[in-house]
Amino acid sequence: MELARSARAGDESAFEEIMRRYSPRVFHFASRFFRQRSLVEEAAQEVFLKAFTELDNFEGRGSMEGWLTRITTNTCLNLLRSAKRRPELTVSDLTEDETSWLDSNMGAAAAERHQSSERSMVAADLTERVLQTLSPDDQLVLTLIDGEDNSVKDVVKMTGWSESKVKVQAFRARRRMREAVEKLLARKPSAPVRA
Amino acid sequence: MKDKHIIGLLEDTPFSSISEVDLETIKAHAAECGECEKAFAAAHLSSLLLHERTVETFEPSPFFQTRVMAHLRERQAANETWSWKGIWRATGALASSMVATVAALAVLTFFVPASPTTSELLEGTTARNAYSAEEVILNPSDLDEQSSDGFVLTTLYDAPEDTAK
Repeated sequence: MELARSARAGDESAFEEIMRRYSPRVFHFASRFFRQRSLVEEAAQEVFLKAFTELDNFEGRGSMEGWLTRITTNTCLNLLRSAKRRPELTVSDLTEDETSWLDSNMGAAAAERHQSSERSMVAADLTERVLQTLSPDDQLVLTLIDGEDNSVKDVVKMTGWSESKVKVQAFRARRRMREAVEKLLARKPSAPVRA
Repeated sequence: MKDKHIIGLLEDTPFSSISEVDLETIKAHAAECGECEKAFAAAHLSSLLLHERTVETFEPSPFFQTRVMAHLRERQAANETWSWKGIWRATGALASSMVATVAALAVLTFFVPASPTTSELLEGTTARNAYSAEEVILNPSDLDEQSSDGFVLTTLYDAPEDTAK
């Protein structure tokens, strides 16, 4: 709170200290939404520029981290909204690695998530591509709840949405993501679907 | 549960939060229902994909703070310039409108001729009428044939009081 007060009074070093303390958290959070470093940096920069101009609105009731997380969520959501949404993903769009990942993860053994980091990267790329076919709001709730294991209440705090909106959005987003993956699997020539 | 489709259950909660008991029920149902089997496999893969996305996290670069501060100063400088420009523009507009008003008033005062007075107007009316009120009353036959009733009335009632008498 002291830092916020000093920064509000125009003390640049106080604001730099805020950035030093919270930028790892902001970067971590933004990394959940973007796979390119440049986009994560752009989001983080926008977050701190916005935070600086809105310091007057920070009343110190909640934590600085919570306040910045909320700004980060909204900034990422706005960036997702401004990005062009991709059309439906088809098997022909997949890389060889992605096809191979899908093949090897459709069996029951896939339940165990012991994969090499290289294969995790392939999966992350594939996730990115599938998510980009969904709406920004869907991407947000799926990433936060199903990916990051946040509770509905946490997401309410992060987004400022109502609890019922978060629940309904998550329900619909899961359906849309499942349908997108289902279509992808259905088009694969040899798709053993038993998990 | 065995006869009921389990798709709703898959959409209601995150896949990783489904309890062991529910998972067994779902698997038992999926073994007999092709549609739910596909849905279950897709939900499972979706969950795997979403969790795999968390593997990579970027750290702020050493120059991040410097860059943000530079951007901030740039933005502040741009805002200041913009506000000065705004004041300058507003002042310029006000001054030019004042000059235009003064010029218009000067033109009206010095160059536009004064408007005629009421008596001058009345004289003009009488001059335009070739007949006086007396002539109209006493010698109506002298009037032009084309003179209308309106003309007669105008001559009688618009004439100055002393002429009418």
